[in-house]
Amino acid sequence: MCLENFSSQVAERHNKPEVETGASKEVLLNPLIISRNDKERVLIETSVNSLRVSIAIKQADEIERILAHKFTRFLTQRAESFVILRRKPIEGYDISFLITNSHTEQMYKHKLVDFIIQFMEEVDKEISEMKLSLNSRARIVSESYLAQFN
Amino acid sequence: MAFRKIDIDALEEDALRQEELDFQEIGEPRPQHEVEAEVNSRAQEVRSLLQRGDLAGALSTSLQNPPYGRHLEAAKARNTQTVMEVLISIKVADMAQFVKNLSFEEQDVMMKYLYACMANPEQSNSGQILAWHEKLSEVAGPGCIVRVITDRRTV
Repeated sequence: MCLENFSSQVAERHNKPEVETGASKEVLLNPLIISRNDKERVLIETSVNSLRVSIAIKQADEIERILAHKFTRFLTQRAESFVILRRKPIEGYDISFLITNSHTEQMYKHKLVDFIIQFMEEVDKEISEMKLSLNSRARIVSESYLAQFN
Repeated sequence: MAFRKIDIDALEEDALRQEELDFQEIGEPRPQHEVEAEVNSRAQEVRSLLQRGDLAGALSTSLQNPPYGRHLEAAKARNTQTVMEVLISIKVADMAQFVKNLSFEEQDVMMKYLYACMANPEQSNSGQILAWHEKLSEVAGPGCIVRVITDRRTV
């Protein structure tokens, strides 16, 4: 995470995350994909002043798909308060983080790394928990509904 | 810059092009048929070494002289396939031993191929690739991963 302040080479007095604009090829580094299987994978794109981490969350069935979608939507709508969250995920991924040099200056780098790793660990647990509670709720609802006909 | 259809900066004379960048790192691009022939003959050699049970020889042969350059996508895919064949035929328990016997260049090339394998998980056994990655990064350290990110000679 060696990000430095780097103004745009294309437009004077602009300073944009190079990984987003992709305007100058020489400051972009090779993207890396780390995958556990074809559903769960992480894409890391780096450049001189910014880096982008995109995560594809495990989605085994329809319910998990809906839950993951709602969950990431909830987060991205509040991207302002998450600071490093990207408002829109990269295509093919569920959620993206965009870290720029100003973030690494304001915050501790190791805490940023910890946050992303913790997020990845928690998100699977969170979604399977939500799935369980959704199932149990559906069971209670159907029981109380069918109890009327006794 | 989504609202602009034409990238006017690319038309400027001193704009840096992708080919120039590649040229700095890789040098003169090699003719496609020559590289493909080399990759195919290496695949044959590696397979015969595997059949004879010479795993260490197969591993270091498969990591020799990998194809670099943007015009060689077919040869790259073929060579990744070859390396993967070797990687999945070595047992998890023996990995650390094989990794230690590689030279520094071979370790770097191998890390590149591990990431190339991870990039298309449908074709590879991700569990085994991750085990390889763990063993290799233990031996070669984080510098090896950083060299994969920064090296323009992608595989």
